[in-house]
Amino acid sequence: MVLVSSVRDYVNRMLQDISGMKVLILDSQTVSAVSVVYSQSELLQKEVFLVELVDAISMSKESMSHLKAVYFLRPTSENIQHLKRQLAKPRFGEYNLFFSNMLNSTQLHILADSDEHEVVQQVQEFFADFVAIDPYHFTLNTPSNHMYMLPAVIDPPNLQNYCDRIVDGLAAIFLAFKRRPVIRYSRTSDIAKRIAHEASKLMYQQESGLFDFRRTEISPLLLVIDRRDDPVTPLLNQWTYQAMVHELIGIKDNKVDLGNVGKFSKDQQEVVLSSEQDAFFKANMYENFGDIGMSIKRMVDDFQQVAKSNQNIQTIEDMAKFVDNYPEYRKMQGNVSKHVTLVTEMSKIVEERKLMLVSQTEQELACNGGQGAAFEAVTNLLNNESVSDIDRLRLVMLYALRYEKESPVQLMQLFNKLASRSPKYKPGLVQFLLKQAGVDRRTGDLYGNRDILNIARNMARGLKGVENVYTQHQPLLFQTMESITKGRLRDVDYPFVGNHFQQGRPQEVVIFIVGGTTYEESRSVALQNSLNSGIRFILGGSSLLNSKSFLKDLEEAQRISRSSTGVV
Amino acid sequence: MATRNRTFMFKRYRDALKTVRLPSYTSDAGGGGPVIEMTNKQTRSYAPLSTIDPGTSSFVGTPTVGLPPAWVDVSEEIAANIQRARSKLSELSKAHAKALMPSFGDGKEDQHRIEALTYVVTDLLKKSEKRLRKLSAGGPLEDSTIRKNVQRSLATDLQSLSVELRRKQSHYLKCLQQQQKESSDGVDLEMNDSGKHSKSEDDGFDGLGFSEHQMAKLKKSEAFSMEREREIQQVGESVNELAQIMKDLSALVIDQGTIIDRIDYNIQNVAATVDEGLKQLQKVAFVSIIFFHLSPSRAKSETRGNGNVRYSTCGPVLSDVGSLNHQGDSLLILLLFNIINMSDA
Repeated sequence: MVLVSSVRDYVNRMLQDISGMKVLILDSQTVSAVSVVYSQSELLQKEVFLVELVDAISMSKESMSHLKAVYFLRPTSENIQHLKRQLAKPRFGEYNLFFSNMLNSTQLHILADSDEHEVVQQVQEFFADFVAIDPYHFTLNTPSNHMYMLPAVIDPPNLQNYCDRIVDGLAAIFLAFKRRPVIRYSRTSDIAKRIAHEASKLMYQQESGLFDFRRTEISPLLLVIDRRDDPVTPLLNQWTYQAMVHELIGIKDNKVDLGNVGKFSKDQQEVVLSSEQDAFFKANMYENFGDIGMSIKRMVDDFQQVAKSNQNIQTIEDMAKFVDNYPEYRKMQGNVSKHVTLVTEMSKIVEERKLMLVSQTEQELACNGGQGAAFEAVTNLLNNESVSDIDRLRLVMLYALRYEKESPVQLMQLFNKLASRSPKYKPGLVQFLLKQAGVDRRTGDLYGNRDILNIARNMARGLKGVENVYTQHQPLLFQTMESITKGRLRDVDYPFVGNHFQQGRPQEVVIFIVGGTTYEESRSVALQNSLNSGIRFILGGSSLLNSKSFLKDLEEAQRISRSSTGVV
Repeated sequence: MATRNRTFMFKRYRDALKTVRLPSYTSDAGGGGPVIEMTNKQTRSYAPLSTIDPGTSSFVGTPTVGLPPAWVDVSEEIAANIQRARSKLSELSKAHAKALMPSFGDGKEDQHRIEALTYVVTDLLKKSEKRLRKLSAGGPLEDSTIRKNVQRSLATDLQSLSVELRRKQSHYLKCLQQQQKESSDGVDLEMNDSGKHSKSEDDGFDGLGFSEHQMAKLKKSEAFSMEREREIQQVGESVNELAQIMKDLSALVIDQGTIIDRIDYNIQNVAATVDEGLKQLQKVAFVSIIFFHLSPSRAKSETRGNGNVRYSTCGPVLSDVGSLNHQGDSLLILLLFNIINMSDA
């Protein structure tokens, strides 16, 4: 069960049996799914000489019957409409249609009806309906990701679309693995419950034939949880490489756009950050910022060594060798400069926004008790001129989540202070967060202070001391995984759907966070998997969050629920 | 990885609908079908792709079966050449192995064979490389993107082939030089591996005839080393030619793992602009790297403007080469000049 290789295999199988020159036609979602696992040069090797989006391909009318078309699309009604038009006036020699998910019979009828020229060779379902960014981490890039925070009555059709997309994605994951899971969800979340039930209905009733793989092993577990069970993780500053790049600059489908950070030459403006293609990144993506600095220094030293050996050219063989190694050399050079650029830019941001200072308090708020000191620290930072608006907002949010019940008066003071210091934020956003993800709404023990066992463990951890104040926070997911490993995930908090219960300990667990995952959680999953506990975890989410996108979803949800309170 | 094949259902629906549809069908016959592109080549290995069975739908206004554009022939020709070059290359590597086997006298034949094969392969590569340029020309956007991609893909093949050829040659060259060194280095060595080198000749020589025999051998090995020198030079020249091909190709080949190798990036950025930028970039990088690593006085020149670097290169490198003192000097100078020149090209 590795995500990246599954999608790669699907793509390989699509292309390998079709000989000759091909054009690959994708839609805005499948282009992400394919791009993160397959490269342009690999496509060229498979004789795919043109890649186009399905809406762009209909612009041109010119016939290209020397090309065979390979479509890989989500089975949406827009895509079917595009296909209908394109099949009516075929431009390519033949049409091979692959869909990333299940087609219903109406869609199949429409397609058959429009294929008057009988150019369609095959219609297949290849279930690569997710973006496999890392071997154990996928995202669905769901549009309007704020939907999960809205009550069902506000916008039923869009909420249905949102749920459908997620259920489709989950179905594809398990079809790709050829397994049918037992499903659990976090009790307090309506949306998690709904998605869990719809997924179950699909897998055990509507398409039970498709999901029946006649496997005798213990079923894998699908656990659907809600982002709001742990609103703290996406609000924290990050200090490990991958998470930090996403938090400070932003990663989209394993690409980093440096365009809004500084001025770079055209080839440096956008860089690829993929654990599959970049050995240095793979080795360092979970390391903390200080260690990255050291690793990069070593990499630069190595590079200089190679450069030096290239400098010593005295014979023809040296010369020949140099020209031979030149592509490799240039690749190395590109990689070195990429990582140096990223780290340099991030250092600038850290310095500019005083993130060391801010993050220390954030971590204190997330991990340790001590309300008085916390209040003082937050107040001081709110007064600090060099702290940016977004960091102020996050500090108040973190304080509010932690001390929601303990000190309403002081919380009020912080709200007022925030409003006066950072007027650009709409009042009530923090209160909206509490309404969404306050203590009464959450499943699980976010701060480890509800359950006597957790309290004891936290105290023990406190006594041991922490290695690094900036990375002491563990996401709630860590505890959840621990509970699953020990077989102690409580049925009361995480009920099963239907009567499909777990028989024994699962070997494979897919945890899906409605609302989005963070790279901090992805790291936690990767570390857990490296322990070889006998359970393999895969993490997925509707989107990939950093604090900016989490806050944007929150603001959007607040805006919509405000404007609709009058209606409802 | 589960998949579900819906083709059967699809075809059943399609067939069912066909019977309903047939009558009203002929009306759109001749409705502006795609133009057939004719090419003046008679023999084509390309089979036009028609998925429409003429038997069942002959009276229907199906789209005219378009012949592929002319460049498809070019690309197929190049692909065939690459295939040929590949098989010749494996012959060449066998010939190399044979030539390196210890033997005196009749090495000439092997040598000719190697020369001929090297020439053929290099020639094929050169020819393909030249043909490759023909692929990129204007035309409609989609078509030119396709051409560019075909070009890239063939360039990648060509490049890997060139690298392979170069590797084989430099390996051969190294072995040659080693043998040359051994044969001219001294008699002792020759004596020590006499068993390996010249079994038949050394058979039964005795203490008395020793020095005469040695003299004769020395002379022989002198002639031999002259011959080898020539061989080395030849190989050097072809390495040089290859370097040129490589350089031309590297502008076309995609660097793996970079943003240019991303599928989504290629959709966003229409190929033309990217390629041009890439070419320029590589030119600059190539010149500066060669310069950077060859010139000892680089600290001095590095401070100069970009444009100056290219011209200032020749000076220090030349003076530098003058101070080098070992065999292959002249070749090295040749190579350097060529590399510098081709970066200018």
